[in-house]
Amino acid sequence: MNRRTMLIRVAAGLSVAAALVFTVTAAGTGTASLVSGKAQLMSAGPLAFGPDGVLFVGDSIGGAVVALDTNDHTAPKGAVKIDVDGVDAKIAALAGVTPDQIVINDLKVNPISRNVYLSASRGKGPDAMPLIARVDSKGDVSLLSLDKIPNASVSLTDAPAANPTARQNPRMMTITDMSYVNGNVMVAGLSNEEWSSALRSIPFPFKTAEQGATLQIWHASHGRYETQSPVRTFVPYTISGQQYILAAYTCTPLVKIPVSDLKPGAKVKGVTIADLGSGNQPLGMVPYKKDGHEYILVANTSLGLLKLKADNLETYKPIDSPTVTNVAGVPYDTLSNKNVQQLAKLDDANAVILTGKPGSGPAFNPGPAVGPLNISTIALP
Amino acid sequence: MRKFHLAAIAVLLVTGMTAIAESFSVQLEGGAFKVAGWQPPRTEPSKGWSSVFAVYAGSGDVPPLLGSYAVEGGSLVFHPRYPFAAGVHYRAVFHPPGGGAPIGKTFDGPARDVTPAARVERIYPSGDVLPSNQLRLYIYFSAPMSRGEAAARIHILDDKGKPLPGVLLPGEELWDPNFRRLTMTFDPGRIKRGLTSNEAMGPPITEGKHYTLVIDRDWKDARGAQMVEAFRKSFRGGPAQRTSPDPKQWKVTAPKAGTSEALTVNFPAPMNYPLLQRMLQVSGARGTVSGAVNIDKDETEWRLTPQEPWKPGDYKLAVDTGLEDLAGNSIGQPFDIDVFDHVTEHITSKTISLPFTVR
Repeated sequence: MNRRTMLIRVAAGLSVAAALVFTVTAAGTGTASLVSGKAQLMSAGPLAFGPDGVLFVGDSIGGAVVALDTNDHTAPKGAVKIDVDGVDAKIAALAGVTPDQIVINDLKVNPISRNVYLSASRGKGPDAMPLIARVDSKGDVSLLSLDKIPNASVSLTDAPAANPTARQNPRMMTITDMSYVNGNVMVAGLSNEEWSSALRSIPFPFKTAEQGATLQIWHASHGRYETQSPVRTFVPYTISGQQYILAAYTCTPLVKIPVSDLKPGAKVKGVTIADLGSGNQPLGMVPYKKDGHEYILVANTSLGLLKLKADNLETYKPIDSPTVTNVAGVPYDTLSNKNVQQLAKLDDANAVILTGKPGSGPAFNPGPAVGPLNISTIALP
Repeated sequence: MRKFHLAAIAVLLVTGMTAIAESFSVQLEGGAFKVAGWQPPRTEPSKGWSSVFAVYAGSGDVPPLLGSYAVEGGSLVFHPRYPFAAGVHYRAVFHPPGGGAPIGKTFDGPARDVTPAARVERIYPSGDVLPSNQLRLYIYFSAPMSRGEAAARIHILDDKGKPLPGVLLPGEELWDPNFRRLTMTFDPGRIKRGLTSNEAMGPPITEGKHYTLVIDRDWKDARGAQMVEAFRKSFRGGPAQRTSPDPKQWKVTAPKAGTSEALTVNFPAPMNYPLLQRMLQVSGARGTVSGAVNIDKDETEWRLTPQEPWKPGDYKLAVDTGLEDLAGNSIGQPFDIDVFDHVTEHITSKTISLPFTVR
């Protein structure tokens, strides 16, 4: 058995995976499958853009993924640059709270319009309301009306609750990241009870329960030990013409997994290409090409913004022994951008970052960045 | 966030007036802002009602509050989209068409109730010895809390009271939907054997050493009030747990027929408290046995007290193989497997059954 590989197995037996039922509330193709009405969102977490300006929103509290038609599919006329200071204060003003009551959960760019979308919470406790904000190239901030919007949802929980607002079950799958890959919404999740975790693949338009595959990932990348670990963030990535997802785990291996193998029943060999070290969580990744070379920009809780040199990823020898250096594998540079909380690709030459000030925790773990939170466009380095 | 009720809206305090014309005034009634004394035109102005009347909840270069306009009883009314919030100053401004000084009025949101009420009720594991590869910590609060504070409010101190860095995973707060239970994870990079951080830094907890977990009183509850008191728990590092729990080593004590005695299951080592709540099921000839589950003796004892007295017969205790011990080893799979020594003997069944007889 290759010790540097990950096995992805369709979970036929273990815990979380087996009981999953996808409850579908709309069907069709693309935006045509969405039905206008109130989006049943209890929280707004990770975001991912699909076709035709469809925005997928991960709702950890509601245990669902909701597809929204942003009705935002006009390409910009020229280059786009988005810089907005104090975006948290602007969202707070729109939603009628003080800025400290706005928590920004994710940031993505609409690949058609190049407008920035943010998911946020209005409040920090159980009564927090979900918000989806749009920031355009003029810097104008608006909130999507979630009461009347074409939408569809798919439930990730064992069974739909009789009362959707009931909050009885303390067990929750926190959605850590989502991505739209080859017609599927891929959803990485993390339980607040058991350690086992799942990567789900849900076909869009949302159709039937059976077509959502749940994959469990085993790590065999730590010397002679095989472990299971939750995926924190991942992106689609092409290496030598083959489509991969590049997944970053807690603590912090970076692993490539061939998308073609992500099928029910398949055992997939993925390869660890970097280990970014301890006390850190990856927040987001942007793969890009520049001057004939390939790079991956990685935002992290502790390590800041890293630029991985990703040429010829297929040739990297998998990491096969523990090292006492903090990192191993693909070489990288640490960039000077501080307190990057969110990172998303704007276009082939630029990325958008959300920055703030360090939280009030100790220097080794300051906690989430605090306001004012600023959106900036940076040239891909 | 405290929701603002209709009754409370009536007592909103008028805190400031920038200018008041004789005949126009800005009022707050029933949760909506209203321009009194002005007859709005039949059709909306070309630049929208917001060009005439807007409400601001923030200061500086910020957009106006979201909401909808209506002409009600002959007056222009603005209905905010979101409920009123504590600590917010709402500034409603009317620009009389055709000129004249703007008329503004500021209303305060409801007062924030800052009476301390929340406290840490309990923490799991509840024992005072934690394995050096302890995986998770469950903190139960008596009231809903605010997220985003764990990094600043949870400390693990060594035996000299010095805060230890890198023990808990940064950037991770896993709450239950009620925000009353927080799951924290010890840095798995330091737990997993073979990883850089495990080699360089050792496990987050060292066997034989003494620690104190401290949770600050300053942690804000969901209303924004601090807690009643701080919380401290002392513990000692114990040996690592590296193998899967084995149900064959559990002691199942059957109750007597005709009684409502508890069925008791004792484990050789503590188990994961939240998982014990839902991963053991008892069934007999009449189906699932309903009753109250109690977990005791530092999570080494599970008891089921039935709703109805036990009937004689054969029963089985069904154990979900996802059940974990304190180190995240589940019955179906250890947390990390030594692929040379133990080669992967995965248990693929969902449950394991332990039979017992009630006589």
